[in-house]
Amino acid sequence: MIEIKNLKKAFGQKKITRCLDLTVEDKEFIAIIGRSGEGKSVLLKQIIGLIKPDSGSVLIDGEDITKLKGKELKKVFQKCGYVFQFAALLDSLTVFENVGITMLEDGVEPKKVRPKVLDRIKSVGLGADTLEKFPSELSGGMKKRVGLARTLMLSPKILIYDEPTTGLDPITVRRIHELIKKTHEEQQATTLVISHDIEIFNYADTVGMLHEGKIVYKGPAKDIWESKNKYIHQFIRGLAKGPIQ
Amino acid sequence: MVLRLIDGIGNLTINFCNGAGALTIFTLDAIKTFISTKLKLRKVFTQMNHIGVNSVSVVLLTGGAIGAILAFESYNGLHKFGAERFIGTLVFLSMAREFGPVVSSIMVTGRAISAMTAEIGTMKITEQVDALKTLSIDINQYLIVPRIVATTLIMPFLSLFCTICGIVSGYVIAIYALNVNPEMYMEAVREYSELADITKGLTKAGIFGFLISAIGCYRGYITTGGAKGVGIATTQSVVIANVTIFLADYILSSLMSLT
Repeated sequence: MIEIKNLKKAFGQKKITRCLDLTVEDKEFIAIIGRSGEGKSVLLKQIIGLIKPDSGSVLIDGEDITKLKGKELKKVFQKCGYVFQFAALLDSLTVFENVGITMLEDGVEPKKVRPKVLDRIKSVGLGADTLEKFPSELSGGMKKRVGLARTLMLSPKILIYDEPTTGLDPITVRRIHELIKKTHEEQQATTLVISHDIEIFNYADTVGMLHEGKIVYKGPAKDIWESKNKYIHQFIRGLAKGPIQ
Repeated sequence: MVLRLIDGIGNLTINFCNGAGALTIFTLDAIKTFISTKLKLRKVFTQMNHIGVNSVSVVLLTGGAIGAILAFESYNGLHKFGAERFIGTLVFLSMAREFGPVVSSIMVTGRAISAMTAEIGTMKITEQVDALKTLSIDINQYLIVPRIVATTLIMPFLSLFCTICGIVSGYVIAIYALNVNPEMYMEAVREYSELADITKGLTKAGIFGFLISAIGCYRGYITTGGAKGVGIATTQSVVIANVTIFLADYILSSLMSLT
């Protein structure tokens, strides 16, 4: 379970996260929505420990990760997988080396790593022919799949996706959403997805809305279109008038 | 006006101290990782190839040019006193103790350290560094230590090549262009030079390698702000590394003169 309590983060004078509270239950699939620049990515990076909050706590299975450093933080990274917005693949490595990097760096022989990498690559819908390609040779959707395959190598309990469908065509968006849902079910993982895409409501259990550094709404995804929350009402319909300026 | 000047100097001093402190902590962290974790030898050799082997031609070229210039310029001065035979000593000592390590370090800074900063900086702004962290990979062990170790190890070799090339070109110019007697030239070199002159130069080169690679890695690692940020980081890395080479050279020369 992830419990975020009274989380605050500012960059200089700009307050990004303001007294944010959020609870994500085990195996829950939550989509976090909000306008661009609201600090959604900063929130995710605070959850995983990549950015230290100014105050507040992030409890993962009861352990406050904001107090952790070095090796203790590494354990959090093993528990939480993070899929980056633009995949963040290492551009000097092949797909095989990118996906198998943790095992290869641990000194496991490449021939022993290969079957596991192939298995992961197939699970995200890619073929063996992609293994020797470099990230620059892949399309946006393929990069995101490889990024997910790399994250899945650690079999994390919590999967965090930072805008996984940004810049993709509608067909690829649907495929990525289906892949996220399939992975969520197969891995029995807690899943947090940041998205601007209202299609995500068809896949998530719950939706949280971030506005001015706080969660202003959290409710079931299936009821979102009936929600009376004024922020949700304006945001999902893309209305110019409303509380969101 | 005066207050603004004092304010400016104060700010510069604070920024300098902050930067120097952060660089020191970063370097100490890298040293701690080097001591406490297994060195990635394959990465070290790859970096040695990238930093060293690919820099050999430019180092040889500049070393040769400096040796030739030294021979020419010293001839003009020494000829007036009939002391041409000391051209060899002057070229040898200058190349072995100063120009070899300094020039090769400057060349490596321009060619490889700038690329090192740009590479790490690009990895930082494209979240590749964050991705490595989330995969529980030690950034120091994976990215920083192999680069620092490789540069520290390869610099003495580059310095030696630069020195040899400078001495050879100085000899060629002195003997064939300036008509200095080759026996007298070599006699002076043997009489006034020691092995310690070379070892001191190589030690300097190793220390310069350590310093410039730590600066290059650190400046890349703290890069922010997109492509422009990478450009700024690369420029700053080269400037700081070059200034550091000269400052360190002065300090090391002073210390070595005591021994």
